[in-house]
Amino acid sequence: MNDVTRRDTPREAAETRTPERDGVRALQPLVDIHEEGNALHLIADMPGVTSDSLSIEVDNNVLTIEGEIRLDMPEGMSAIYAEVQAQRFARRFTLSHEIDAEAIEARLDNGLLHLLLPKKQSHHRRRIEVRAA
Amino acid sequence: MFGDLRRFDSGPLRGADRFRELLDELFPDPGLANIRSVPAGSYPMINIGRTDDAVRVYVFAAGLSADDMEISIQDNVLTLQGRRTDEDSGTQDNGRRPYFRRERTRGEFARSIALPEGLDADRAEARSKNGVFVIHLPKREELKPRRIEIQSP
Repeated sequence: MNDVTRRDTPREAAETRTPERDGVRALQPLVDIHEEGNALHLIADMPGVTSDSLSIEVDNNVLTIEGEIRLDMPEGMSAIYAEVQAQRFARRFTLSHEIDAEAIEARLDNGLLHLLLPKKQSHHRRRIEVRAA
Repeated sequence: MFGDLRRFDSGPLRGADRFRELLDELFPDPGLANIRSVPAGSYPMINIGRTDDAVRVYVFAAGLSADDMEISIQDNVLTLQGRRTDEDSGTQDNGRRPYFRRERTRGEFARSIALPEGLDADRAEARSKNGVFVIHLPKREELKPRRIEIQSP
């Protein structure tokens, strides 16, 4: 289980955290997103990312997923062919207000990230009574 | 290290980067594709690195454990085969629930890639960690760099 960090800082903080920051290129992880029950499920392919190198943040309704690709590489190795030409994965999504940022859960298993984004209680389906005047 | 390779596509650095030359060697002309080359982003993605005494193949296969992948080598061609199961395929309503994005590949896959000459397939080892499989292929003795002693006359 990984901690989801939350920030209540103003927007300017979010703006500096672009995927291209520090000039280091980041790959966008491929994701599946589906809705089931009272939650959204996000599954992302992030091979090489460890629970230490993964960071998940919700700031101002923007969900940021970032992870550094940690590979075991011997000294003096040179690349002869590379399809993965980056050292990080990064992707951002805007969340709707119905998502309860406090209740987001994350699981990382063999480089596969599973995020559970529950909806707020107030957004669960409910019946509205109509009263006679 | 593999991050450096992104410079392949940047114009100003063209020619300054020795990796660029290596890639041009692998893909001489965009209209002429290697018969075993695949479109970018095919699952699983592969990186290959070389040291003085070995070649290492990194296979980026998120969600796969050691049992899900079969790795074989024949005539210097490395073949990776496996199956990625839909982790929720057990649920009945699978397929009926609303999907907003479905970018990840699923099901069976098989990829082959030509390896450099002179590797000792018998001593190859493979390991998997965090969804990355590392295949270590030692070079044959006669191909390793050798120091040549200079003898005094």
